[in-house]
Amino acid sequence: MGNGPAGAREQILGRLRESLAKQGRLFRQSIGLDLPDPPMTVFPSPADKSLVESFATKLVELSGSCDVVRAGADVAERLMQRIREWTAQSPSGPIEILSWAPDELHVPRLEQTLAEGDISLFAPEDLHDQSIRARAASIDVGITGIEAAFANTGSIVLSPGAGRSRAAGLLPLNHLVLVPLSRLYPTFEAWLLKLRQEGRLETLLHESGQLAVVTGPSKSADIELTLTLGVHGPKTIHAIVFDDTE
Amino acid sequence: MNIDVSAPYQTRVKQALADDNLRTALDRATSRLSETRAQAVAAIDLQRMRDEARAIKEHAIKNLPDLLEELERNLIANGCQVHWAQTADEANEIVTDIARQRDVRRTVKSKSMATEEIHLNRALEDAGIKVVETDLGEYIIQLAGEPPSHITAPVIHKRAEDISELFQRELGMRPTNDPAEMCAAAREQLRSEFLAADMGISGCNFAIAETGTICIITNEGNGRMATSMPPVYVAVMGIEKVVPRVEDAFLLWQAVTRSGTGQDVTVYFSMSSGPRRSGHPDGPEEMHVVLVDSGRSRIMEREYADALLCLRCGACLNSCPVYREIGGHAYGNTAYSGPIGAVVTPLLAEDPTTAKELPFASSLCGVCREVCPVKIDLPRLLLDLRHDLTQLGSSPKYEGAAIRAYSNTVEKPARYNRLSKLARWFSRILPANTEGDLTKLPPPLSAWTRSRVLPRIASRSFRALWRDGRDTRRGSSDNG
Repeated sequence: MGNGPAGAREQILGRLRESLAKQGRLFRQSIGLDLPDPPMTVFPSPADKSLVESFATKLVELSGSCDVVRAGADVAERLMQRIREWTAQSPSGPIEILSWAPDELHVPRLEQTLAEGDISLFAPEDLHDQSIRARAASIDVGITGIEAAFANTGSIVLSPGAGRSRAAGLLPLNHLVLVPLSRLYPTFEAWLLKLRQEGRLETLLHESGQLAVVTGPSKSADIELTLTLGVHGPKTIHAIVFDDTE
Repeated sequence: MNIDVSAPYQTRVKQALADDNLRTALDRATSRLSETRAQAVAAIDLQRMRDEARAIKEHAIKNLPDLLEELERNLIANGCQVHWAQTADEANEIVTDIARQRDVRRTVKSKSMATEEIHLNRALEDAGIKVVETDLGEYIIQLAGEPPSHITAPVIHKRAEDISELFQRELGMRPTNDPAEMCAAAREQLRSEFLAADMGISGCNFAIAETGTICIITNEGNGRMATSMPPVYVAVMGIEKVVPRVEDAFLLWQAVTRSGTGQDVTVYFSMSSGPRRSGHPDGPEEMHVVLVDSGRSRIMEREYADALLCLRCGACLNSCPVYREIGGHAYGNTAYSGPIGAVVTPLLAEDPTTAKELPFASSLCGVCREVCPVKIDLPRLLLDLRHDLTQLGSSPKYEGAAIRAYSNTVEKPARYNRLSKLARWFSRILPANTEGDLTKLPPPLSAWTRSRVLPRIASRSFRALWRDGRDTRRGSSDNG
């Protein structure tokens, strides 16, 4: 098991085991507590606000924005408005959006509605192909769904899969994210607890390859602690929360 | 002015203290970071968070070998290749070999202290491989040819004006002091690097044993880019980074962010559990994890396991009155500065006396212990290290003789009196500044006045004042 110089693994593990076995005192002063049981809450849970209100408030605090719409058809309409705003500077004509595959977005009649506004979705199947990669990299708006979202931090979870590229929520300067109400949780802890109970946590991590929690637009404060948005990831993030529970 | 990190300790400190621009930059940044931290921890049950974070880390260190084996098992089950390295050289060789096998020409790196520690960039560049740092701060210091001066804010020592000058020279940017414009220039430059790189390299904030997952946290998204776009992804991790469960990584993530930058959480939390799965549009074809010891098991042998609890948040640097004056480069050619750096730098070194001054670069005020999210008793560790280094014979010989002479004197009141009279007389005739403080003592005491002044010895001794006071008090009570 394990690669690397011959015996490195055994040497390291052996030294660690030896130190642990011989030692009377491991830490200067042990805290004397066992591994804590989840949930280990750090954040105060949103008190007087609904989940949606909390999520929207947090996202706005993070320099993102959020719309809440009722039915499925409104989602496509709202999407179109946003895309128009963001691409207003570009030359007129057909607009291409980097997206997850439409059936991963759970919005009825999405493609048809967008097509009426001359907007098409590009859901790449293989971004290791250089020409596809170049095409994806030239697009200014990306659309993704979510695996989960959290009200107390304004975060979303992106889980890659077939039809769900990492690039769509990462490469474009603007990120549109569709948040079905049924996937909005109060806290990370509540979501993790549910995944545990359903026995899905390990599978989700394994199958996604990379699960990403994203909290607001990309930012940096490296230059004199001045906040700057859109360093490598999206500069704007706009969530559209819609009720999929009816 | 730049500080020469390989110059002797005294020279580095003197250079740092003489650099007004550095002091301005440090002052602006560390006060801001300390303030935002204070606000962020005031909003939560801080003691509970610290207890939980500490308990998780203690558990991880106590069970380190078992957890590493579990991590390795699950990483392999996830399709990763796992490598073990005892030393920095071995780790660098492993990464260079992976690069050679895949014919890698260009690599992009997400910010990582472990790779700074082992000097991976130099090893790759020696093998003819281009390395581009993609964290904005790291990118800036790479352009400037300097090491980072802070664990989380590597370019904390530069003002916006300094960075602008650098970008104008290196990137041909038009003159501006606007951080947004400088950032846009870097984005454009680095975007093409991400898309063209053959290999992405990251460190590791937490490695989850139960699922075989490498977690990295960033605000800029360079971590997600480096781990998603290139065909090969290599994570380099210190063996102390392993935690048992997914929930532990989430808790520590929140603890490190609140303590480090004062945010609730960082913008990106990327949890990589293997290469791109079949049918996925993107992600690396290969994922490697390099488990690096490089002195960590020795820290355990030397009975300093406390130092392995560190989450690398930087709160102890931001709050330290010494770091705030001298900055990170004065700590020398090390990836780690501030109080935690003064502890781990000599401990990670094969010969701890190579960094023997660092444990003394502290006033032991204790603020580092108060802000540490995992309650590391840094002042205690610094004191213990001073003791150990003295045992190793690294302190000057006259120091022992001087202390013996001192204890001989203070034990005998008559001798003490005679000598203090003599000292008082001497302090009258030695050179002094306008405030009457001594500026030039004879050797070996000259070491003190090289960078400080000494108040002149009072014209009347405490004993004399005490005697007078006693007489006066007696007198007044007699009268009353």
